[in-house]
Amino acid sequence: MEYVNPEGLRLDGRRFNEMRQIVAEIGVVSKADGSAVFEMGNTKVIAAVYGPREIQNKSLQKNNDHALVLCEYSMAHFSTGDRRRQKNDRRSTELSLVIRQTMEACILTELMPHSQIDIFLQVLQADGGTRSACINAATLALADAGIPMRDLAVSCSAGYLNSTPLLDLNYVEDSAGGADVTVGVLPKLDKVTLLQMDAKLPMETFETVFALATEGCKAIAERIREVLEENTKQLEYRRAA
Amino acid sequence: MVGISLGEQHFIKGGIAQDLRTDGRKRLTYRPIYVETGVIAHANGSARVKIGGTDVIASVKAEIGRPSSLQPDKGKVAVFIDCSPTAEPTFGGRGGEELSSELALALQRCLLGGKSGAGAGINLSSLLIKEGKVCWDLYIDGLVISSDGNLLDALGAAIKAALTNTAIPKVNVSAEMADDEQPEIDISDEEYLQFDTSSVPVIVTLTKVGTHYIVDATAEEESQMSSAVSISVNRVGHICGLTKRGGSGLDPSVILDMISVAKHVTETLMNKLDSDISAAEAREEES
Repeated sequence: MEYVNPEGLRLDGRRFNEMRQIVAEIGVVSKADGSAVFEMGNTKVIAAVYGPREIQNKSLQKNNDHALVLCEYSMAHFSTGDRRRQKNDRRSTELSLVIRQTMEACILTELMPHSQIDIFLQVLQADGGTRSACINAATLALADAGIPMRDLAVSCSAGYLNSTPLLDLNYVEDSAGGADVTVGVLPKLDKVTLLQMDAKLPMETFETVFALATEGCKAIAERIREVLEENTKQLEYRRAA
Repeated sequence: MVGISLGEQHFIKGGIAQDLRTDGRKRLTYRPIYVETGVIAHANGSARVKIGGTDVIASVKAEIGRPSSLQPDKGKVAVFIDCSPTAEPTFGGRGGEELSSELALALQRCLLGGKSGAGAGINLSSLLIKEGKVCWDLYIDGLVISSDGNLLDALGAAIKAALTNTAIPKVNVSAEMADDEQPEIDISDEEYLQFDTSSVPVIVTLTKVGTHYIVDATAEEESQMSSAVSISVNRVGHICGLTKRGGSGLDPSVILDMISVAKHVTETLMNKLDSDISAAEAREEES
């Protein structure tokens, strides 16, 4: 199948280095301490953060000097084309772990000993790149909750199909069998916190795909910063009024 | 659940007794309702309903299925509810399952009628394609994103809106077939049938706090309830289903009184919802 036509356009009309449209909003769950919705094309994720608060389950407490970060990823029944039935499958568990480790790396956990931070992620629509969308949504929700962070962790994926590196794969491109590189970075510190790839790629190609995904991360970071700044302006405006 | 002090508890109860609740509403006033349709792109129909701090999404998916041998002339409808942990941290893991199945059962009772399928709010015969062979299976999925009380009413409203939003592809069945063969079907991707939702009921939950009952209780008010009765009423004023929750018993005369109040409340709610849904549909078509 042809994923990139001779004019260099992809199935959904994007160019190789183009991302899907991003829509992000803060404060969508009224009862949570922080929440956000992050949309990337047809992928839509809601994140809610509860905490920092007292540790609910003492048996989970391992390190007294750091906050405990917990993460749960769940997919709505209607999020995929065909209905899924099981709730706690292995993919969700793995994703929860990946997101938790990425977020733990950017939260200043040492400032909040004896406390717990819960991050809940709910996928409303899945169309490729849920991993990245979840991390971006979690970052926004954590910022909304006012939790101190080293940097805004952002994530983006890139792949390689028809000998072209492609940014931000959608579901069709993702299931095409090519390589899929998911990168998470801390843009200000210029550090990679998450790197996953499936399928195989030659070394030099990996470099270009990896660079493309990192570029994507930087663009998303800028967008996220804009959303946060806009939100702060709104708050400032409301305070003045 | 909500942890509130003794003083607050008295305040809530006292307010309800004096017909002035903590958020300024009267006993039989709803919080503002917001309806949005077509929120899930790849479902046949979907809607999001917000009532105050409560936020739910309902989606309708239609799949080709086989009618059950007991009712060869009817399609099938299943209701599933999921309580997302985003709404309440305790819903994490398996924590929300009990509430989810309680809500799903209550909705099934209110929308689908009895085992025979008679008196269902959704017209099951309209889902039939070929008697005994092919029918539509409707999967109604509800998701609770944020919970601040009155989940059942919100889910009922969202399902009603989602069903109104639902477009089911037109199906052509090849004409002649031997009795034991599965007929060939042709699903049109251009022609869609709108779903008839005029008989879908709305659900009103009356929550009894002290000696009075209120509609649209918030989570705080629900924590003070002694019992709650959910009544689903359709457009012509018939009761389609009834569920009582909560521990303490109710006097039969109180239940009858509640039903007549609920009937009165549903009339206004039904009109409000209908206009909200058509406004949301119009907005969706515009964009």
